[in-house]
Amino acid sequence: MSSPATLLRTALHAAHQAAGAKLVPFAGWDMPLDYGSILTEARAVRTSAGLFDVSHMARVWFRGPRAAAELDHALGGAIVDLPMDRARYTLLLDERGGILDDLIVYRTGEEEFFTVLNASNRQADLAALRARIAHSPVEDVTEDGSGILALQGPHSRAQLAALAGGRADFCSGFLDLAELTISGLGRLRVARTGYTGEHGYELFPGPGQMEPLWQRLVEAGAVPVGLGARDVLRLEAGLPLYGHEIDQAVNPFEAGLRFGVKGWKTREFVGAEALRAAPAPERELIGLTAEKRVPRQGYELLGAGEPVGSVCSGVWSATLERPIATAWCRKDTSGPLTVRTRGKEFAVKAVPLPFVPHRSRD
Amino acid sequence: MRPNDRKYADSHEWAKQEGDLVLIGITDFAVEQLGELVFLDLPAVGRKLAKGESFGEVESVKAVSDLYAPLGGEVVAVNAPLADELDPLQNDPFAGGWLLKIRPTDASAELGALHDAESYEKQVAAAH
Repeated sequence: MSSPATLLRTALHAAHQAAGAKLVPFAGWDMPLDYGSILTEARAVRTSAGLFDVSHMARVWFRGPRAAAELDHALGGAIVDLPMDRARYTLLLDERGGILDDLIVYRTGEEEFFTVLNASNRQADLAALRARIAHSPVEDVTEDGSGILALQGPHSRAQLAALAGGRADFCSGFLDLAELTISGLGRLRVARTGYTGEHGYELFPGPGQMEPLWQRLVEAGAVPVGLGARDVLRLEAGLPLYGHEIDQAVNPFEAGLRFGVKGWKTREFVGAEALRAAPAPERELIGLTAEKRVPRQGYELLGAGEPVGSVCSGVWSATLERPIATAWCRKDTSGPLTVRTRGKEFAVKAVPLPFVPHRSRD
Repeated sequence: MRPNDRKYADSHEWAKQEGDLVLIGITDFAVEQLGELVFLDLPAVGRKLAKGESFGEVESVKAVSDLYAPLGGEVVAVNAPLADELDPLQNDPFAGGWLLKIRPTDASAELGALHDAESYEKQVAAAH
């Protein structure tokens, strides 16, 4: 069993402690769950701007003249036609079309790609990718002291622009990449990506930039936000989390992630054949709200008293001020919905996803 | 140091003798572990509980946790206002955040088996 002494730390560990973070183990890292209040932090992201240290996420470079083609085959999404300075959300599938992970791929050069994968899947993903990519160097930089800061919320652009000497023309579109010059810190790669549904950025500081960048953004008004609020925000935005909405037993179609395997009908990639042969999904991912109790992962979903699925994720929504959840639900379900756990049963209502409209493209 | 006018269970409930009744709640450690509380489910007055039996649950933003009777008895009162306002439980779990009062079946034996404040402190320190 790992103890705090054996957990990995990002370069901001001391800064989190100084800010009063409640640190918890997460995927082998000692990470801030919150800095005092999950709900206050989540609200700050939707009303001003929140700053997250997500440097525990796996960061891997792929380089070389064959990198594009090899990634295009190894991943579900098209990589060969990914434009320069753009990001793309995609899926890593197994041979049966089941999801091994979801990830973002960024094209930073003709022969250079940067990927960000889930911390919990890092070793499994690297093994799969290395087995599929024989001719392009694969470099895992997760533990080199660099990191990712996510700056998300309506004030994020202004705060970042202030640090970049007032420059206003970067990342005009969602998923754009840019390089900014931060006064006193040098060049900083930023992407207009995120996991909250808000207008926001993910920043990729080098080891020497991590701590000063964090401090400068906090001084500019960004509110430190932990992983607890991150989970509330992503669920409000209807975004999947590996191990909850997606895993090896889930195929992209039933999870509503068809856009992560664009061109699946004709392209060749690991899992494509299985997707083409897959029958139409019999279940779908739905949103639920409840009155007081939170439907939690694993609770049974019942339609008119009959089992029709199970809950994937559930939290108390800071924005809606009620419980929200996602669940698998058989497609022909009718009748009033309830969830059940260990003899307790309570009513839920199906609602469309996302719970909170996205503003990421605004 | 936590109040030494009461006893503590491994599962972080406390039990305080008040005449022939026992007042029951959960500790600050339990509340802190849970985080922001959003829902509380308490038993009906009249319910008979066995020591160790689940008498309700408390939900936070992130998790749900069962509440276990530190000793057996009949529920004679519950802190009903907590259903609408959880603040006293969030911020004052040893006094205003009390959960229920029971008429115990075997107070001396079952209370005796619980931790005193000092022993509970050690329990909590070991959990960190």
